Amino acid sequence: MTSTAIIKTIGLTYYFNKNHKTLDNINLEVQRGSIYGFLGPNGAGKTTTLRLLLGLLKKQQGSIQVFGKEFDQHRIECLKHIGSLIEQPSLYGHLTAKENLEIYRKIYGTSKDRIGFVLQLVGLEATGKKKAKQFSLGMKQRLSIAIALLHNPELLILDEPTNGLDPNGIIETRELVKKLNRENGVTIIVSSHMLTEVERMATHVGIIHKGKLLFEGTLPELQNLKNRQSFIQIDTSNNNAALSLLAEHGAQNTNGYVVLPFKEKTITAAINKKLVEQHIDVYLLQPKQNDLEQLFIDITSDN
Amino acid sequence: MSFIISTQAELLKTKRTSSFWLPITGAAFIPLMLFISFFAGDDASKAAVLKDPWTKYLSMGWELFCVLLLPMYIILVSTLITQIEYRNNSWKQVFASPQSLGNIFFSKFLTVHVIIIFCFLLFNFFMILAAVLANVFNPKFTFLSSNINWQTLLQLNLKTYIAALGIIAVQFWVSLRFKNFIVPLGIGVALVIIAIVAMAAQVVHIYKYPYSFPILTYDFMQKKNRPFLENHELNSIGYFIFFTLIGFLDMKLRKEKG
Repeated sequence: MTSTAIIKTIGLTYYFNKNHKTLDNINLEVQRGSIYGFLGPNGAGKTTTLRLLLGLLKKQQGSIQVFGKEFDQHRIECLKHIGSLIEQPSLYGHLTAKENLEIYRKIYGTSKDRIGFVLQLVGLEATGKKKAKQFSLGMKQRLSIAIALLHNPELLILDEPTNGLDPNGIIETRELVKKLNRENGVTIIVSSHMLTEVERMATHVGIIHKGKLLFEGTLPELQNLKNRQSFIQIDTSNNNAALSLLAEHGAQNTNGYVVLPFKEKTITAAINKKLVEQHIDVYLLQPKQNDLEQLFIDITSDN
Repeated sequence: MSFIISTQAELLKTKRTSSFWLPITGAAFIPLMLFISFFAGDDASKAAVLKDPWTKYLSMGWELFCVLLLPMYIILVSTLITQIEYRNNSWKQVFASPQSLGNIFFSKFLTVHVIIIFCFLLFNFFMILAAVLANVFNPKFTFLSSNINWQTLLQLNLKTYIAALGIIAVQFWVSLRFKNFIVPLGIGVALVIIAIVAMAAQVVHIYKYPYSFPILTYDFMQKKNRPFLENHELNSIGYFIFFTLIGFLDMKLRKEKG
């Protein structure tokens, strides 16, 4: 099976005002069947990008292809197969869960039994006559996801779906996303400002910062990048001596430890040998990884 | 077909909103006042014993309806329907659903019309009901023994509706334009007050000012041998087309939707 891009943007650039590029040349490629974690700090341009993908913002520069078609020219056709949840829930507070779904059921022209199905899927089947405005935030979020899923979309766009949820809600949402992807083959774009969140569910990652796409690739590719940034942390009886001894390896003093870039296991062993031979007692020698959080900070602070 | 579906969805959204009670209370208000005044010895009670009580009585009700109630009602309904999306933050979901912009705009617009027409029907019903009931309580009244001029009443309904089209289009546009409901409400009320003042001051250009059109229609209906459509009613149709188009283009061309 050839992997095909379900979404492709080329040179997507967007200005909210003339002097400030909110999005700068975004080339996004979301593969069919993937869970694409769209990662970036608040204000990075995630929501702007997703809004452009849904046609909620008027495109200014670049092109957007959804399902291999230009979105502009096939807006309705594309939207028929996209489910979305953008920022806070958009529910009719005066209506029940069922009534909210009924409105969209009509618009999408799906069968009536889908309502019961999606309600069960998000665990809201027992809300009865309770109106959406009386729901907890978690329930509202789940109902919004139910609406997004109602017409069995090929592509699901979730903008910060776990925002404001309690830990349980976060886990439930994450599991739901994975399940939909696994069992129904739904391609999912999920944005988040939390790296751990994305790491736990995504197969692909795009990192956006200040309107620029800094990284795009699979999760393993991101891990590789991470490995490249691994280092060795050393503590000895004489750190100053160790520092000058290991200067050729690029040793530095960081927080009272001797830190140098990790290259290979054999080199780690050689370093240890060298220290011992010079009668420096090694208390601690451990390869450490820049965890993704650190990487994230690194990646985003470079620019 | 998809337009009908969009409209059905729009009507569903109005469930449990005040769009149900608003036409009922709006339409019942004037008949109720008149009903009370039947027993208070006012003009209404004098009209009720005339040989042809309906003409006088209905004209009393319609005058109030055209001057104040109908314009205010249009302002409220337009605001209410568009506020359903603003209040719930749901524009984005609407625009991200597979509906053409035309369907989104016109299904909402049609919903506004449906609710206004509903109010017209109820107003007619309550007006007649109030008179009939008053006659039941007071046998001296002559409503039950006289005939309603249905043709005139129908004409009055139709012409008033046409005269109101301009206001409906303007109010729908401003209600759609502004997230803050105070804006369309404030603009509407101000424009209605201007109409009332302009009528009282007998400003010459009143025939060009949409918010005074229902009052003008009422006035002309008191005269005999008039053309089916008055000039201001034709103007109203013109305003209607113009502002509907403006409203639609304004929504279509907006950079940010939802």
